[in-house]
Amino acid sequence: MTIRNVLRDHGQRYRPRMACLKKVEKVVLEMQDPTTGVKLQPQRLVITTIPHAITGEDIVQICLFYSEARSFGSMLVALGYIYPIQDHKRLVVKPDASLYRFQTPYFWPTQQWPVEDTDYAIYLAKRNIRKKGILELHEQEQYNHLHKWMNHKWDFIVMQAKEQYRAAKERKKPDRVVFDCQERAYWVVHRPPVRTHTCMFPSLQKTFTFPSVWSMVTCFSLHCRLVKYCATYKGHDPFLSKCLPSNPWLTDDVTYWALNMPNVEIPTKMRVERWTFSFGELLSDPRGRDDFRLFLKKEFSGENLAFWEGCEDLKWGTAATMKEKAEQIYKTFLARGAPRWINIDGKTMEITVKGLKHPHRYVLDAAQTHIYMLMKKDSYGRYLKSPVFKETTKKAVCPEEHKFSDSQLEQNARNRRPSLSPIIIRQQEQEQKAKMAASAPVDITQVMSKLSQQGKEAPPRRTSVKND
Amino acid sequence: MPLVNNKVGNDCTVGTDKTLADGKDLVESVIKVVACYRHLAACVGGCTDSLQLRDELRQTREKALNLAEAIRLHLTSHLRDKSLPEDQRKEMELLWVAFSSSLELLHVDMCKVFSMGDNFSLANTASLVQTGLQGGGSEVAARALSLADLNQEPPTLPAGLESQERSTMEQEISQIDHMIDDMEKKVNVLRWMVEPRGPQYADPLSSTESASLALLSVDEEQPGHEPRCQRSLIFVFLLLFAVVLVAATLSVCLVLFS
Repeated sequence: MTIRNVLRDHGQRYRPRMACLKKVEKVVLEMQDPTTGVKLQPQRLVITTIPHAITGEDIVQICLFYSEARSFGSMLVALGYIYPIQDHKRLVVKPDASLYRFQTPYFWPTQQWPVEDTDYAIYLAKRNIRKKGILELHEQEQYNHLHKWMNHKWDFIVMQAKEQYRAAKERKKPDRVVFDCQERAYWVVHRPPVRTHTCMFPSLQKTFTFPSVWSMVTCFSLHCRLVKYCATYKGHDPFLSKCLPSNPWLTDDVTYWALNMPNVEIPTKMRVERWTFSFGELLSDPRGRDDFRLFLKKEFSGENLAFWEGCEDLKWGTAATMKEKAEQIYKTFLARGAPRWINIDGKTMEITVKGLKHPHRYVLDAAQTHIYMLMKKDSYGRYLKSPVFKETTKKAVCPEEHKFSDSQLEQNARNRRPSLSPIIIRQQEQEQKAKMAASAPVDITQVMSKLSQQGKEAPPRRTSVKND
Repeated sequence: MPLVNNKVGNDCTVGTDKTLADGKDLVESVIKVVACYRHLAACVGGCTDSLQLRDELRQTREKALNLAEAIRLHLTSHLRDKSLPEDQRKEMELLWVAFSSSLELLHVDMCKVFSMGDNFSLANTASLVQTGLQGGGSEVAARALSLADLNQEPPTLPAGLESQERSTMEQEISQIDHMIDDMEKKVNVLRWMVEPRGPQYADPLSSTESASLALLSVDEEQPGHEPRCQRSLIFVFLLLFAVVLVAATLSVCLVLFS
């Protein structure tokens, strides 16, 4: 017979996977064994003694059977199978004499019965009955929210809270304290304050396939590349290393995002360092690309980058505009006598021109790859040694690390605002593009005439031959 | 015939007042029983789990189901009565909402006890979780069943009790399922139209009780200060004792030398 769960989960909160919890339950039950389990000691309160308390050291000791003892112990606490008696809001295992106790199976986390808001409302009402005004700020807010949302049940909730309180009074005092602690721990796990993250993590479904012998070699080379990649990018990953000034996901402070906007004037040092990793990194970062464009302008070989950008535009643009874009690119970069002629070898040019008779998205792929490799092998190396790059590196800012106190963090959490709408961001990008198109030199002859007018001595260095 | 009318009117209101009062009493008792059941259910699987606890759970469950059946008949018949005046109907609807919420809570608790009974068999007491509880739930069960004192002797129950109880529980759970379904079908109470009468915050029941509980749960308010508090309190007691001793010796000396 299947027991139908009549209640619907209106809260839609995430529920942890059953498989992970079943394994943890097995471990917790093994810990109960009087001979091989964890050592129990009594907790002495003012006028009473409550048994079955365990110290943090003992938890870590018994978890040594499993690797990462302390984090496994913390997981037990964070999931709610063991709760700390002192400092009940921090769900970690401290490997000292601080006391913990096992949670009763009624309050163990399971997937079948979701954590009900009605129960939470009853719990908060009970705490308020016990001592008026004891609710914390986030609990107060939750209580008011639940009062608004479950208003029709409110008489029931208050009555049930009173009855549960009276029923608890029937019990002996130590048992009453234990039950209060159990319930409190349960709700710390399932309704934590806004800023803390819960440990109700998803367990990954791992499927392991045994590798065949011939793929071991490729695996090894991939492994080396992966190790190299990790070593290079380790310092830049906001999860693996500290994120300056502070990780917005942890502290709710958006300075990091503001400093790393796509078109910021002064980039951060980390960002500039990333440009040195590979040419792809430089091009994919809009600020890096701007810098590179500036450098190429000084070298008078900006048409390569402009062509590459045009090809990207063609590849990712709308189908309706493709034909005109292809024609425009041909006229500007590829035709004989084009104003910004690019230097590609004869064979590629032949293929491209033939393809342009029936243009499609990827018609300029060969030419684009050629120009990309040209820029990578030639201009990129020079860029990294150029005064433009050196100046950018010098001006790059390294922000100070933020040190927020707890109250400031709560303030930040309250001041969270949604980011700009994507529509507005797209409009800004388009304005930027239009501005750039208007200011860029289209015709080399214009530039040459400007130069001769200004009477500059040194002729511009050109790698391409221009048919005049 | 205003007199006659008045008389008839009085009888009517008296009748419905009594009905309302009956309904309220029944709903309050079912809420009380559900609260007690929850306390008992929290002990299942822990170190105080025993045949006696399971028996108390069973008795509480039976009482809850009997009350539920009575309330269901009472409320259904009255709410389906079209001639019920508006204010009475509102009161009945409040009771209805309270009753259906209690039923839902009871259903969840029963399901939890059922699945925990599967996992924690009383035959293997070594794997029961050491939760720190020392007493059973007898006092709570006594409150639920409104008895002055439950008989203390452990019940001599047959060996196959657990499996028998399981099948009984299954039946009872499906009974509650049907009850909830039935209620929803027969009476249409618009929950968003129901307005509660009571306050948002429940008043503290009594200051003395809360004070004594606050004393017990010293660790809630002051984490880490607990051993220091203990020590300072012991010191104060010792000091008082010493003062009393000194006073006693002084008075004895006075008596002897005067």
